[in-house]
Amino acid sequence: MATRSHPHSAAARASPLRTQLLVAALAAGVAATALFGGGYFVYVLNLTGIFGLVAIGLTLLIGFSGQISLGHAGFFSIGAYASALLAQRLGLPFWLAIPLAGVLATVIGALIALPALRLKNLYLAIATLGFGIVTQKMIFEWRALTGGGAGLQVPPPTLFGLSLADGARMTWVIAAALAAGTWGAVRLARGRTGRALAMLRDSEAAAGCLGIHVARYKVVAFAVSAFYTAVAGGLYANLVRYINPESFNVGMSIMFLAMIVIGGMGSIGGALLGAAFYVIVPETLRGFKDAPGLIFGLALMLVVIALPGGLASLFRRRARAAA
Amino acid sequence: MIAELVIGGLASGSLYALIGIAIVLVLQATDVPNFAQGEMAMFATFVAFSLLTTYKLSWWIVLPATLAFAALQGVVVQQVVIRPLLGAPIINAVIATLGLNMALHSVAGMIWGNQTNVFASPVGELPVFKLFGVNVSPDSALTIVISVAMVILFTLVLRHTRAGIALRAASQNQQVAKLMGISVNRSFALAWAMGSMAGVVAGLLVAPILFLDVNMMGALLIKGFAGAVLGGLSSLGGVFVGGLLLGVVENLMGAYVSGSFGEALSFLLIIVVLIVAPAGIFGRVKSQKF
Repeated sequence: MATRSHPHSAAARASPLRTQLLVAALAAGVAATALFGGGYFVYVLNLTGIFGLVAIGLTLLIGFSGQISLGHAGFFSIGAYASALLAQRLGLPFWLAIPLAGVLATVIGALIALPALRLKNLYLAIATLGFGIVTQKMIFEWRALTGGGAGLQVPPPTLFGLSLADGARMTWVIAAALAAGTWGAVRLARGRTGRALAMLRDSEAAAGCLGIHVARYKVVAFAVSAFYTAVAGGLYANLVRYINPESFNVGMSIMFLAMIVIGGMGSIGGALLGAAFYVIVPETLRGFKDAPGLIFGLALMLVVIALPGGLASLFRRRARAAA
Repeated sequence: MIAELVIGGLASGSLYALIGIAIVLVLQATDVPNFAQGEMAMFATFVAFSLLTTYKLSWWIVLPATLAFAALQGVVVQQVVIRPLLGAPIINAVIATLGLNMALHSVAGMIWGNQTNVFASPVGELPVFKLFGVNVSPDSALTIVISVAMVILFTLVLRHTRAGIALRAASQNQQVAKLMGISVNRSFALAWAMGSMAGVVAGLLVAPILFLDVNMMGALLIKGFAGAVLGGLSSLGGVFVGGLLLGVVENLMGAYVSGSFGEALSFLLIIVVLIVAPAGIFGRVKSQKF
């Protein structure tokens, strides 16, 4: 894989106390922002959290199991549309609609993974690319259900009669989802599944010889990754409350990939850093139409050529120097 | 009716095939799927556009100048972006070319703007002619003829020239090729130059048919990849047929099954083909060492 860095080496190296302090500081920061922070900053933070979930899901797939996907915008849009439609048509609350959308995407992800079992590298990339394109096209054309190119309004999410559309209330939901997602991913990565996936990535033949059920773990990786991405899509739909198939294109799938490469493949910290980069760079360069693309493009090339561990490795190096 | 659809499909299919061939020339030699192929071709096509309109040069000067620029572009990309990644996992090179794709897209937008330009066809004045009772536009005919010529040309270069044979040796076994006195680096540079030239020919052919703007190659790149994968990536002929097949199927499905689903249907077809034949229709599976 791209980085060959050990997935949880950073976490393993840092002492538990330091990790706990870091988590506590982060939580306090998010809480302070959610309580007192102003609109724009909260918006950027929310998006970072949402794309952080996508990045974690994609890292589980690419960084751990070594399968590539150029179609994750498909899962993201399935999550966004399914959760929005469940809320709009059936009146389900968002905290039920989003996980259900995630489950739907998990099933689709597992179904996609079945043909993907036979495919590798470029063939897999093209097949997943095709999946993304087909999904976008279906949303465009299934007008009766999705509203087609006109887009879809999403009812404001409420919790105990409290509208979450006000102020920074969504931040709590996103932070909770991100925390749960991170916890789940760490558990998964350190447990039996994570070790099996890492083995699979390095050599399928060796993994098979050790009695790892290659096919099953590949499907699991795809399904879990789809779940994360769809939940993020559901949160996104509930945050911006207007979704349009236009934005869920191939470019988005490629940006998702860019995000985890720039952040640092195979680590949760890298995934979050990449998500922050993905959200903040275009926001700061709003006035210049072509500048974000140039920066992303150059960053991608620079990272693979000169900084294989991504942004996360910069921090890691500093931490090692300090220790 | 159906014959016209097939001819139209063959014309767009030969564009897919040219892009596919551009990709496979590089892929076979260096194992790198070049996702920047589309924007490299777009960039070079814009250079030709500037030479034609701003400097008012004739096609006889513009064509060789553009091909030379494309070759140079291929070599520069190979030396600057790909060479440092030699020996690293292939996915790194994939990501680097995706990055290059984005960067070139943005730079072209900065230089030439984001508006749509009209690119005059070199055969625009010729009338539509009839072939065996079927209407054929000169643009379609030119596209088909030139792509067939390119396939034959590249096959001859690879089979019968010293540089081509060296390239094939280098792509089969770098160590042995080096021992035989072949410069692997120079061979790979040649592959990139050839790929880039095939790409710009596709760009020059598509620009008059569609339009010229920075987004023109996005869909074409994906179709080129899809056609190449469909054909199996292992021989230029197979890739060519794969591209043509994709073009024809897409045109027929668009007309008879669903106009708006044409594109999505062809991708569904590709996914199905890949399930049945994971290495494409004409592909041979490369044995892999673990």
